[in-house]
Amino acid sequence: MVNPELMLRFRPVSRLSRYFPLLLGVTFMVFTVLICMIFLVAPQAQATAGGLAQKIFYFHVPAAYAMYLSGTVCFLASAAYLAGATDTRNAIAKAGAECAVVFGFMMLTSGPLWAKKAWGVYWTWDPRLTTTMLSVMVYVAVVVLRAFTGDGEAERKFAAALGVLGTVNLPIIHYSVLKWGGNHPTVIGRGGGGLSHPAMRQTLALGFVAMTLLAIVLLWMRARVALLASQLARAEEEALALEPEENTP
Amino acid sequence: MTWAEQQGAPASKNPEDRSTEFVAVQGGGESTSAESLLVAAYLVMWAALLAFVFFTWRKQGALEKRIEKLDDVLRKSVGKT
Repeated sequence: MVNPELMLRFRPVSRLSRYFPLLLGVTFMVFTVLICMIFLVAPQAQATAGGLAQKIFYFHVPAAYAMYLSGTVCFLASAAYLAGATDTRNAIAKAGAECAVVFGFMMLTSGPLWAKKAWGVYWTWDPRLTTTMLSVMVYVAVVVLRAFTGDGEAERKFAAALGVLGTVNLPIIHYSVLKWGGNHPTVIGRGGGGLSHPAMRQTLALGFVAMTLLAIVLLWMRARVALLASQLARAEEEALALEPEENTP
Repeated sequence: MTWAEQQGAPASKNPEDRSTEFVAVQGGGESTSAESLLVAAYLVMWAALLAFVFFTWRKQGALEKRIEKLDDVLRKSVGKT
């Protein structure tokens, strides 16, 4: 049984924590409605857009947006950490990079499966695909760096700098399709690629809401764990420092 | 010649036109069933999410064990004094 006083010390977001189950419940409900809308309400798209495979779109695009969101969180927290180092900023930057990798993975695996039907191939070195893969690899590099180089001040700063640099690529991904063309269409904001039916637009909008909630849940979870780990490491160091004094005669 | 034209797209289309529609890659085949691609995509995405949550849960469990260990050490040191 853990001492309650000690447990109180490791409560990184104690006041906000009471809302976490509520957030989880809302996220679960929104995802349930979203899945019903994708498969029961949204009509099948035209054959050139992949037909039935186009339904991947309602997770693929929001996952890409969630990667942007996580990347932006990583960027802001990393920049804040470089301006003034705190455990909380480091934990949020770490969580941002980890979530960007997960959402990036979702996007990069679902996209090729849809592309096989819409384009006839799983992968092509299209400008948007290439820049997206590059960006996900930068976030993978941040995560690997943090995992294998320890949790020292220098390593944290290097990871934060990489997190800031990685996010510079995000606007390039977004505008690459407008600047250089390629196979990847711009469905949002240019009026192309389909989505003529109102139910398709509503489903996509709900997809964005669902992925935003999921991104908040995952960022919260990972940031809490990262903050707890750094606080615990500090407490262990303090405990170790106490031991020799007690052992001296 | 633009990048898109080099990849086999019609020469008359500029990047802005191409960015608003789905354009098949030249030489690509479309024989795979849409149903299997759809199921595979959703399976992979949910598997990735669940794996991430599982690893977070495991990491949290490891941290709780470290807190228990620290608690034991502190209890023993308090007992000595």
